[in-house]
Amino acid sequence: MEPAASQRVLQYLTEVEEAAEDVLTTKQQIIDLDLKRNQNREALSALKHEVSDSEKVKVCFGNMFIKFPKSKTREMIQRDQEQLDKEISDLRKALKAKVNSLNEMQGNPELRGYSLSPLSAQELKAINSLLKR
Amino acid sequence: MNLYKIYSSFKLQRSKCDCFHLWSRFQIFLLVQLAQMAATKVPEVRDITRIERIGAHSHIRGLGLDDALEPRQVSQGMVGQLASRRAAGVILEMIKDGHIAGRAVLIAGQPGTGKTAIAMGIAQSLGPDTPFTALAGSEIFSLEMSKTEALSQAFRKAIGVRIKEETEIIEGEVVEIQIDRPATGTGAKVGKLTLKTTEMETIYDLGNKMIDSLSKEKVQAGDVITIDKATGKITKLGRSFTRARDYDAMGAQTKFVQCPEGELQKRKEVVHTVSLHEIDVINSRTQGFLALFSGDTGEIKSEVREQINAKVCEWREEGKAEIIPGVLFIDEVHMLDMECFSFLNRALESDLSPVLIMATNRGITRIRGTNYQSPHGIPIDLLDRLLIIATSPYTEKETRQILKIRCEEEDVELSEEAHTVLTRIGMETSLRYAIQLISTAGLVCRKRKGTEVQVEDIKRVYSLFLDEARSSQYMKEYQDSFLFNEAQSASMDTS
Repeated sequence: MEPAASQRVLQYLTEVEEAAEDVLTTKQQIIDLDLKRNQNREALSALKHEVSDSEKVKVCFGNMFIKFPKSKTREMIQRDQEQLDKEISDLRKALKAKVNSLNEMQGNPELRGYSLSPLSAQELKAINSLLKR
Repeated sequence: MNLYKIYSSFKLQRSKCDCFHLWSRFQIFLLVQLAQMAATKVPEVRDITRIERIGAHSHIRGLGLDDALEPRQVSQGMVGQLASRRAAGVILEMIKDGHIAGRAVLIAGQPGTGKTAIAMGIAQSLGPDTPFTALAGSEIFSLEMSKTEALSQAFRKAIGVRIKEETEIIEGEVVEIQIDRPATGTGAKVGKLTLKTTEMETIYDLGNKMIDSLSKEKVQAGDVITIDKATGKITKLGRSFTRARDYDAMGAQTKFVQCPEGELQKRKEVVHTVSLHEIDVINSRTQGFLALFSGDTGEIKSEVREQINAKVCEWREEGKAEIIPGVLFIDEVHMLDMECFSFLNRALESDLSPVLIMATNRGITRIRGTNYQSPHGIPIDLLDRLLIIATSPYTEKETRQILKIRCEEEDVELSEEAHTVLTRIGMETSLRYAIQLISTAGLVCRKRKGTEVQVEDIKRVYSLFLDEARSSQYMKEYQDSFLFNEAQSASMDTS
């Protein structure tokens, strides 16, 4: 093969590999964030049920435990949760675009109805009997 | 399986030739034997989940075109008709791209030249996602429904709407369920549910309601479940493979699945395709959604249709729906009358309109319901809107190929000479008659415990069953001995 052609093939393959790697990284990132989100959720419910209000709780920052007032801790975690929710939904949106561009690069057809926005719950309820066939 | 094939083709045969042909004792014997075989073998056949009966066009799997839309001589069950197949291929590509909504195509040709086959080929190559509705011209004449109503229902069945459903779910394998019931027996229950995926594991606190629905679904450790976040509905997907050895005895319906991967809280998107007619039916209030299953939908008010159109257009604007113009195929279109044709004219102009494909085998004939003559029995103004594809009679070589394909389809082995004889019969009488002979000859062959149909078998069935020309010859000779005989009319009244 000519050097120019092989160069082009190599470049194309690199691009595809990069795009695929990007998709995988985003997926892993979503998983990691969801793990964090679930841990936070566990912590919140533990705070609610298992600790009395006056007590201070030990919070782990990095590799250090710090005693913290309970209400403040809860606030902190809740803020963190909101941040996580937002980040995950952003990543999911980005993931869609990435999968699309990967498909395009590989010459696969675009997924059907991929770019549609979902029906609202009420609209779905109206035609539910059609969907659960 | 085979029996059903024979039986179906035999039934076809029986309806084709009238009772007065049943003079042969052998023929009656065949029928009786068939009935006996069918009676004794039925339970066996019933075990198969889907009984595939062999239809006249069951061998067609597509139009048989290559990527450049050039027709192959023999491919996907299609033989010959190169020009018309190519034309159909061009139209097919335009349908797939969604370019030609609201257009109409007419396939015209003599009987037995593959008009329906081409339409079936188009349907097969459109894929499962594009709606394809087929009806015969005479189907629209019904007492319960006006003709235009039947037509508009058919039109709307041929338009698909693609919509998306999005749900947040929690999906995981149950590691442990722990439910604490208060010692008094009454009061709030509390519990904990541990779920895991291949990546993570977490504990959920359970409320009273969740505990109830978990115990209602009989969820236990080792089950893979999904919980719909919005509604709290629990669905059991099956048991995890890692727990397959938990018990020795297991119900037959126990399904094993892999432990889910990735995050616990997932977003699930499902794309559905429904037809406009289906949406019409559930919104036609007097009927309720049950009407969809009983098949009797009755007439749908035009206001309902307008509302649905408006809603679907609104969805499209909002990016919530895609409209897929499908294909409506009307066979024997000369059976429609003047009212229907003018309705078609109008319906093709609406902005939600599918591609209309019609087929006819008539030449210049009277338009039904009028005294006017017109080509194909279709008014000139409608004809003007159509793309017309013509089919031509098959050559001897093509007939041979078709017979070969049908033999494979009907599981009948044919010897070389018998094939030649059958081809000659096909050329001299009609292709349909020759195809009918395949399965009957196959049955005669099996009766004499042969493996391959020989010329004798063909001769036998050729003498048993008359083709159209011989039958009319017979009629002419013995006209006087039949009941209610009248003087021969010059031609068949077609209206």
